[in-house]
Amino acid sequence: MSRKMISLENVTRVYNQGRPNEVRPVNEVSLDIGHGEILVLKGPSGSGKTSLLALVGCMIRPTSGRILVAERDVAKLPERFLTGVRRDTFGFVFQQLHLIPGISVLENVMLPLYPLEIGFTAAKRRALELTEQLGLTHRKGFKVEALSGGERQRVAIARALINAPQAILADEPTAHLDAGLSGELMQIFETLRGQGKTVVIATHDPLVHDSPLIDRVATMRDGRILDGDG
Amino acid sequence: MGSYHLGRHLKILEFALSSMLRRRTKNLGLVLVFAALVFLLSSIVFLTGALRTEALATLEASPQLLVQRAMAGRHALIPLGYGELIARLPGVGSVTPRYWGYYYDIYTGANYTLLGIGDQGLESPGSTPLRLVEGSFIMPGQRRVCLIGEGVAEVRGTRIGGMVSLRDARGWMQEYEVIGLFASPSRLLTNDLILLPEADLKAHFGMPDDRATDLMVEVYNPHEVDNISRKILERLPDARPISHAEIQRTYETLFNWRGGLLLAMFLGAMAAFMILAWDKATGLSADERREIGILKAIGWETSDILELKLWEGAALALVAFLAGVTAGYAHVQRFGAELLMPVLEGWSTLFPAIDLAPRIDPYALGVLFSLTVVPYIVATVVPSWKAAITDPDRVMRAS
Ligand SMILES: Nc1ncnc2c1ncn2[C@@H]1O[C@H](COP(=O)(O)OP(=O)(O)OP(=O)(O)O)[C@@H](O)[C@H]1O
Ligand SMILES: [Mg+2]
Repeated sequence: MSRKMISLENVTRVYNQGRPNEVRPVNEVSLDIGHGEILVLKGPSGSGKTSLLALVGCMIRPTSGRILVAERDVAKLPERFLTGVRRDTFGFVFQQLHLIPGISVLENVMLPLYPLEIGFTAAKRRALELTEQLGLTHRKGFKVEALSGGERQRVAIARALINAPQAILADEPTAHLDAGLSGELMQIFETLRGQGKTVVIATHDPLVHDSPLIDRVATMRDGRILDGDG
Repeated sequence: MGSYHLGRHLKILEFALSSMLRRRTKNLGLVLVFAALVFLLSSIVFLTGALRTEALATLEASPQLLVQRAMAGRHALIPLGYGELIARLPGVGSVTPRYWGYYYDIYTGANYTLLGIGDQGLESPGSTPLRLVEGSFIMPGQRRVCLIGEGVAEVRGTRIGGMVSLRDARGWMQEYEVIGLFASPSRLLTNDLILLPEADLKAHFGMPDDRATDLMVEVYNPHEVDNISRKILERLPDARPISHAEIQRTYETLFNWRGGLLLAMFLGAMAAFMILAWDKATGLSADERREIGILKAIGWETSDILELKLWEGAALALVAFLAGVTAGYAHVQRFGAELLMPVLEGWSTLFPAIDLAPRIDPYALGVLFSLTVVPYIVATVVPSWKAAITDPDRVMRAS
């Protein structure tokens, strides 16, 4: 593995601590993620994949343990700085995509740039580049609800890429895609890796974790990583 | 650097406006309800202001001391001899009799005030500050002519050279040629006023030669008014002196809106407004909640979301406020506050079908603004803020 980008050291996340319904979706996990690799988190439903992804991407904080992003411990950063790290470093592709209906493809892609100090024209230029890269140019003015599943998936990826993040975190990205589209998606991820980006995919889809394009698989069960972290 | 900052706010503003368009049905509904309430509130504020202006103008025109006569509590004509007696009291300047009376026109259902103009014309002390806008005044000795206010001219569609017919005390129709139109600082005065030569007026009402409607008394020292009133009462027990201050007090009680029905209405409208705001505050739709979650998850900070909601709330509230205030102004000015007049029944006799001049009182508008726009914006921002401070990972689970 190449240089370390993100390191998790004995990371645990507890919900409802001390109560009967206490859960540990992530339990004592240590994991290193390198620059420019495609890592797959697999495991059965409820094993903690989404939670681990949220921890890696600074969406939530660990209850204990350390998370180092570019050698910096982000676990205890105040919310504002955490948001800053998150949006400078990561691009998310959510399982349910979470595009905003009623606005155009282009606007959806631009949305993460709105609160940043970048002019409207520059933001739009970047969004146009990405829509082109993902083959969405002919759909850029469409409202997202008018798109096909595969097209929506690509809009979500374009949106995840607009901040020029170093890492893409994708949660069940093939859940709504057929085999053909899933293959296309893996090609897109490979292209991103080619650009030096890190890709982390949480999935239980064999098409993804058995794909020859991926570098590494980490298997989760009950909040722990079984193997693959080498 | 500065322009970059601006760019950030402009983009958020742009998104706020496009979000509002996206939810146009809901927002239109909100604007309408909001504007309707502001319309009601501002109508009340404008009407109150207008009535106060009228009252002040009327007051300005009223004499230091007015003496009427009451017989068995009823207003009666006052003998001119009383005037001579009063004029002899120390401290009293001139005493001028006034000849006037109300006239009910059965054809139009309108009330008019007929005022007789003597040979000294309108220059006598304490008389109403009327200003001729067209035509001429009544010349000494001239008969069977009249001057009308602009308001009366409008209502009756009469211009100079036209005729005004009045049924006199004996039941005969008398015609008077309109020779002039006048205006006064208060529309209240011009709106129902018809000026006739004094002799014609006396004939019209069938007044005896030695009687007048009331007497205007000039008092040299304003502090002496009460004293002189007392002396008048001592000598003439059936006289009824009314001082300027008393008139002022009467008007004050009338226009003290804190005690009035208008305030009750104002509070009612405010209550409705609070319900609207409360509903907005508690009723963040699932859709909006979800959208806030998405923005949060894609890197918006809580403060960015607050700014977005601030723009949305402010844009909606300002549009609705301006629309409501404009409509309220038009309602009071062009339509004589028609919708509020039934509530003011007791006052409508005082203000017969007048064209009100709404006063734009910046203070009242400021109060209105801070009672509507500000709470509305707070009511929009607070629930969004509550939704925005939750962890962004919610979005990863919500379906
Ligand atoms: N905010 C939370 N509060 C309570 N329990 C939670 C919370 N987040 C996750 N969990 C629990 O943690 C466990 C792991 O959830 P997680 O979503 O990470 O699993 P997953 O591997 O992504 O499952 P799936 O494949 O179904 O998406 C689940 O039992 C879940 O109910
Ligand atoms: Mg999951």
